[in-house]
Amino acid sequence: MEKRVIKKDALAGIIKKMAESTLVYAPVREEDNLLFKVLEKGMEPLLDFDNAKNAPKNFFFPQTEVMMRYMRTERGKELSTGEGEIQEAVLFGVRPCDARSFVLLDNLFNDPKYKDPYYIKRREKTTIVSLACVHPPYTTCFCTSVDGHPLSSEGADVCLIDLGDTYLAECVTPKGEDLLKKMGDLPKADQALEAKKQELSDAAEKEVNGAVPAHAIKAWLDENFENPFWDTIHKSCLACGTCTYLCPTCHCFDITDEVKKEDGRRIRSWDSCMSWLFTVETSGHNPRTSQKERWRQRAMHKFKYFVDNFDAIACVGCGRCVMYCPVNIDIRKIVTDISKL
Amino acid sequence: MENIEKQVREYAKKLLADGTVDVVVGYEGGTLPFQTTPCFITDPDDAKRLVWNRFCSVNLAKYVHDIIFGHKESQKRAKPEDRTKKKVGVIARGCTTRSLTIHLQEKQYDRDQVVIIGVPCAGFVANKKMSVAVDGKEVIACSVVGDSLSVQTKDGGKDVPLKEVLADNCLTCRFNNPIISDVMIGEAAPPMPDVEKEYEEVEAFEALPVDERWAYFTKEMGKCMRCYACRNTCPSCYCKVCFIEQNQPKWVGVGIDETDTQVFQFMRMFHMVGRCVDCGSCLEVCPMGVDLRKFLKKLDKDDFQLFDHRAGEAMESAPTLSVHSEDDKEAFIFEP
Repeated sequence: MEKRVIKKDALAGIIKKMAESTLVYAPVREEDNLLFKVLEKGMEPLLDFDNAKNAPKNFFFPQTEVMMRYMRTERGKELSTGEGEIQEAVLFGVRPCDARSFVLLDNLFNDPKYKDPYYIKRREKTTIVSLACVHPPYTTCFCTSVDGHPLSSEGADVCLIDLGDTYLAECVTPKGEDLLKKMGDLPKADQALEAKKQELSDAAEKEVNGAVPAHAIKAWLDENFENPFWDTIHKSCLACGTCTYLCPTCHCFDITDEVKKEDGRRIRSWDSCMSWLFTVETSGHNPRTSQKERWRQRAMHKFKYFVDNFDAIACVGCGRCVMYCPVNIDIRKIVTDISKL
Repeated sequence: MENIEKQVREYAKKLLADGTVDVVVGYEGGTLPFQTTPCFITDPDDAKRLVWNRFCSVNLAKYVHDIIFGHKESQKRAKPEDRTKKKVGVIARGCTTRSLTIHLQEKQYDRDQVVIIGVPCAGFVANKKMSVAVDGKEVIACSVVGDSLSVQTKDGGKDVPLKEVLADNCLTCRFNNPIISDVMIGEAAPPMPDVEKEYEEVEAFEALPVDERWAYFTKEMGKCMRCYACRNTCPSCYCKVCFIEQNQPKWVGVGIDETDTQVFQFMRMFHMVGRCVDCGSCLEVCPMGVDLRKFLKKLDKDDFQLFDHRAGEAMESAPTLSVHSEDDKEAFIFEP
């Protein structure tokens, strides 16, 4: 694995230069929000930031995506593909938790049996540059409880580690190596930097605040689809989509046709298990009759069903749902409470 | 405030113990320092969980409606003579009581189904303003000391004058004491500081050229990710099926097309004429910080200046859209 060194003050310039010829997604400040956006001319990519409010899943699994278009003509129906050509892109500044979310999502969208061409194409064409958490940004971080690590390079093509004056750039994949080559002639990293990285890694791990018994609850979830505990979470829930939309691993979607006169498009858009509409059937019957069942679905999906299907918890411990839930429903508390049952 | 909290707990306990209510809706402490979370007390011994402080933000009237309606639904299959009424106690400040008033005016439930535990209010701390005050850093601890909010971030502590972090709707609120109540806890709160400036921001906005106003509207709506937290927290948004989710016919596309988002937002706002009590819940819950208030307040201003009505101000003041009189102003229809 190739390791290079990038001068700290040179990085922003490199990214901006890259954005002139390639599509670059990066965290930027937009008024009071810190968001992953397409880096356009005049925009400043953030290097010293906590984490973006929105998860970067949007670049592979957009909130709305046209799957195909159709047109009714005199000769019959004409079909065409959805969006135009998918471009090469660089996704910069992803935190290790979010980078890990792509590994989890790959399980689903790039399953040996079921391949999602929309997701896979974008994923293949995008190089991910992660920015390790030398200091985990929030007290709500709990990546280490769900198999992540603040300095992990899992899911990234290049992982940058802030060593003070320089970044240690670790290539994780051939895609990452290609990208580093494009960044110019960067000096190789020596052994001393490697040792420093290990030191930072150990310190960062200790800094992660929360320990959530995420693995310990699987056995309980297996046995307790019906349990009075499920009556205790949902009452204050507003049934909004904040947790699911900001979540890096939530991936449920809905497919709808939008037709205007002779033109139609089939779009896929994010769905949210928090919404009453989530599983309403055509007949009007809804198997999940209340927020209780919807909340059970969210917890089960993350900590049981996904584990059953892919042997991994569908949570990366980024803490977004904890921080941004308008009524402070805290997944850490739910998991901890279950572990005590 | 501690004293009010204590009395609230005592009163809630009493209501539950003597069976006056089935549940008391209030706030309890959350897992984050600046958060409270709505709670539903059914056991008198749990009343001690109730809190009343500057971080109680969400309008609880929404939950009163939800509980009573949920119960009604569950009774549908019971014989008429076996049907019971759910009685809900609620900790209510001024804006909450205005929302309850709207529910009552709109015949959503009967007055005897709700026991209003009125509390005086001096405004709540807006999470977004607090976050801006500490440059977006994570708040690790915070507490109100006198007239200031002491906030801890990993970069250290900072004292912010309370007035700078109170929600905008609180600063200009003229109804910070309950409009209706069954019991009033504590002394009435003094008037809020900026009551006379209530429409200042709207007036400044109205004075802008139309393209600038449109640019602001599109910019703000561009932030919306359609999570519907605003609608779902709003006590006046109680439709069983919202127009946004109807699909026969479908009014609005499900995607994030700019115009679909805008249509969702302004259609919802139009449903708020004479029904928005400026409780600030929609702003407080919005994860993206969309400035909905600028537009809702304009409707509120028109409601007051053209129709001499303020949402939920009194039981006998009929909602603007529910009454018609021959001398209703209509010039704005022809000369917007």
